[in-house]
Amino acid sequence: MKYENLKDELLSTVDTGLKYARTVDNEAEFELYLFYQNRAAVSITQGVVEASEGIIMGNAVRAVRQNSVSFASSSGISTDRIRRSVKEALASLRSVSIEDERFKGFCTPESPSREGAFASEILNLSKEELIDYAGSMMKEGLESDRRIKTVGSECSAEWGGFAVGNTQGLRQASRSALNSCEVYCMAVDGEERRTGYEFDTTRERLIEIGGLGRKAAQKAVSLLGARKLNKTTVLPTIWEPTAAGAYISASLGQSASGQHVVEGHSPIAEKIGEEIANPNLTITDNGQNPSGINTDAVDAEGYPQQTTTIIDRGKLNQFLFDTYYARIHGSKSTGNCSRRARATFPYETAPLIRPTNLEVTPGSKNLGDLTTSIERQAILIADAPIGILRLSNVSTGEFSAVGQSVFLVENGDRKWPLQPVSISGSFYTGFKQLLDVGDDLTKTIFAVETPTLVFDGFSIVG
Amino acid sequence: MHAIKRGYIVLIGTLAICKAIRKHTRVKSESDNMLDKLEKCVELGNKMGAEFVEARFDDLILRTLQRVNDVWRDIILRSRIGFGVVCFYGGASGYSFTPSDDGKELENTVSRAVKMAKASAQVASLKLDFDRRPPVESHEFDTFPVKTHPQNEDLRYKTDLVNRAIDAAREYGKNISNVAGMYGELYGRKLFTNSEGSAIDWNFEVIDLQCRVTSKTPSGGLVNGTGSAGGTMGLELFHTKGSTPEDIGKEAGSHAKEQLKAKAPPAGRFRALIENELAGVLAHESFGHLSEGDFVVNGGSPLTGKIGTRLGTDQATIVDCGTPKISEFGGLWVPYDDQGTRSSETTILDKGILKRYLHSRGTAHYLEQEPTGNCRAVHFGFMPIPRMTNTYFTQGELTKEEALELLDTGAYAIQASGGQVDDDGSFLFKATRGYWVQNGRIKEPIREVSLSGNILNLLSKVEGATKDLRILAGYFGGCGKNGQFQLPCGLGGPELVIGEVAVGGKAN
Repeated sequence: MKYENLKDELLSTVDTGLKYARTVDNEAEFELYLFYQNRAAVSITQGVVEASEGIIMGNAVRAVRQNSVSFASSSGISTDRIRRSVKEALASLRSVSIEDERFKGFCTPESPSREGAFASEILNLSKEELIDYAGSMMKEGLESDRRIKTVGSECSAEWGGFAVGNTQGLRQASRSALNSCEVYCMAVDGEERRTGYEFDTTRERLIEIGGLGRKAAQKAVSLLGARKLNKTTVLPTIWEPTAAGAYISASLGQSASGQHVVEGHSPIAEKIGEEIANPNLTITDNGQNPSGINTDAVDAEGYPQQTTTIIDRGKLNQFLFDTYYARIHGSKSTGNCSRRARATFPYETAPLIRPTNLEVTPGSKNLGDLTTSIERQAILIADAPIGILRLSNVSTGEFSAVGQSVFLVENGDRKWPLQPVSISGSFYTGFKQLLDVGDDLTKTIFAVETPTLVFDGFSIVG
Repeated sequence: MHAIKRGYIVLIGTLAICKAIRKHTRVKSESDNMLDKLEKCVELGNKMGAEFVEARFDDLILRTLQRVNDVWRDIILRSRIGFGVVCFYGGASGYSFTPSDDGKELENTVSRAVKMAKASAQVASLKLDFDRRPPVESHEFDTFPVKTHPQNEDLRYKTDLVNRAIDAAREYGKNISNVAGMYGELYGRKLFTNSEGSAIDWNFEVIDLQCRVTSKTPSGGLVNGTGSAGGTMGLELFHTKGSTPEDIGKEAGSHAKEQLKAKAPPAGRFRALIENELAGVLAHESFGHLSEGDFVVNGGSPLTGKIGTRLGTDQATIVDCGTPKISEFGGLWVPYDDQGTRSSETTILDKGILKRYLHSRGTAHYLEQEPTGNCRAVHFGFMPIPRMTNTYFTQGELTKEEALELLDTGAYAIQASGGQVDDDGSFLFKATRGYWVQNGRIKEPIREVSLSGNILNLLSKVEGATKDLRILAGYFGGCGKNGQFQLPCGLGGPELVIGEVAVGGKAN
């Protein structure tokens, strides 16, 4: 398939698949999702090269009869594989009667929004170029400082799209192309090992690798000579953008989901209109940011993606919904249906709710001003702490994480790197105890664009 | 590289012999057809100039059933069917894959893999060649025998398991705001061949039943309780005492109820007793990953160059084994890795001394060790890389009472919700519940507790282990590495007494 014809070809296959499904069972309703993506990736770690290239493609069918819903997916988008999914989905419906009275039908057709930015150069990136980029980043990292002993780099390019249709007449599709690179450097001094990381992921231009290896190396080296904090205490914490992005993703990225709200998991479920954060905090889910990596014309069930303000100047304004949970909640979909839980093979995931591109409105202070505004001691967290994303508890909002890229701040000055410290507390108490928002708006790897955030009240064990 | 070239010349003959044996000794089956296709991929890769080729085919079924409160949220069936081809050239590798069994598409797949390998070889400065070995052929007994295979019971049987767990959870829980029951199964055929003429054909299988209860405290906070059972077992597991749906639901409900009165643990450095599952997370996340050959070869692991070095106390022995005694301890059955290497029992840490790493063929050769059968991929869409199978601490000699007595005062951390480790050995792992122990006696329940530190430091503080070994495995969760998430792995151990660990609780 070619990028230009991708939507038409996928939509045509969707149409044929749905017609087939109706011939098998004309009383059932069906939804068919197709995914197609060309992907090439190269990683080089200390000179060990691994490269892969392939076409990820698959299909997913949802079948509904009398409020019973089933899901089946299979690898491939051939007629046989689509028919297999249709038959498997129907077999589940026939073998057991499991009604979901809350299900009120598939997504209804609406006009699509816009696809994100597109750079045609990404389609022409060759494997040789990817290998060259990865090699250059590794070389730059290694040559930056004699204490850099290990460097790993990775580059990838992908293009493709998806189409979705259902027996209520919906037919939608969206395309994207993305290229990405990342480099990590490990600085070693005696038994001390520290890592630094940099990346560039973009859909609107070719990746810019120059300087990434050097910056990653500098980050790693800056952490050498770490001292022990040597106490258990409560201190303000300054979360630089990468760390702040992880905080937002792990907290609001979960609890603002209409699924968690409806199912009783979210601690902010009944707080619409309430002040849940410092008035300096505004957070938006922007599914129409042209440069956002998750921007598409429609979401994974074919509903137009849009922009939703979740927290507006400290007040909880809106949750994120797909069609299913929106109808239960008595709201409208916000275009946040996703299949990204199995990121590389999304067709395997039944629809769920995920943010698209989260954006924190920046404040007016730079990092220097934020640091000097703290009179006593504080901890500066320069990178995402270990465990904050995967091990946080959406129900309780409690988190505990290990900050590795951390520095002591004293009387407004950044003093020295610290040995890893444990940071724990409640995300939601944290939002209320937010002290300040920086002006250094930065794209992070978590699809969250945020400046530095300063919180008070977290427990520190160091 | 020379070794591989020599291997290639011999292999063509070996390949032809193996193929002939299969054709003459049994009726040609569907898997033989797929093996034929794999062999053609290998031949084609060799013709295109690859020095060594591995080809594999997965035909896997994954079923997920999830009920949340009174609503069936997921009735899901996934079919993962496809081919993966690795080509080696000049010490570098190229990988490609396809869900299609069409001859032309398979040719394209091989061609992509060969081209990627050749392009990579031009910049590879660290070569991962490997020695030629005799071909490996699988046997019927390589597939773990179960009494009631999940494919032999209908959907109603499985939804009933979930319903029973939820009913039990409701009976034993209190102030429940949400209860979820989940059943999962993953099974199917895995085929493999390579330039040496290996012919491997076996069936993977794992099942899992879980229940999770969320209860609301009087102040509006939410607490959780969970129960589960799973592994490479037949559905007869759910008739076994302690693993029935009723037992699983009761465990989830009663633990959530207990958490209603639990307090946040104090923050600081304390002694700890960690229960079997947590010991497993520690073995897997905090040590197993660091012992994976690729991290060692590239110098990213703090275990690099430390074979023979004392890293822990005599009480700390960690093993990775693809074929554990499942009937006795539980676990996951992985008789071959995705590079065609037979699984082995690898003692990584022997009474505190680092002995071995976990290898692919390339990392084993580079580090002059034997392959360990640890080169695995989540499915055909991914290149196999060094991963764990079942990783666990071995038993000690303490009874539970003796372990509590040895702990004296500290945190007794129970049930894991996961863990993570970084390159420098820093780890964090979470217990979903626990107790505060004072003077060897359980004093009061504590909330979810996180334990963190540096693994090399922690291993030197293992003071004792109990006699009971448990290996846990299942369908839900799994291991993630290099973008390959949800690889089923087993993990476990006895209960371990740790001299000091950082507890991420509430500071005064």
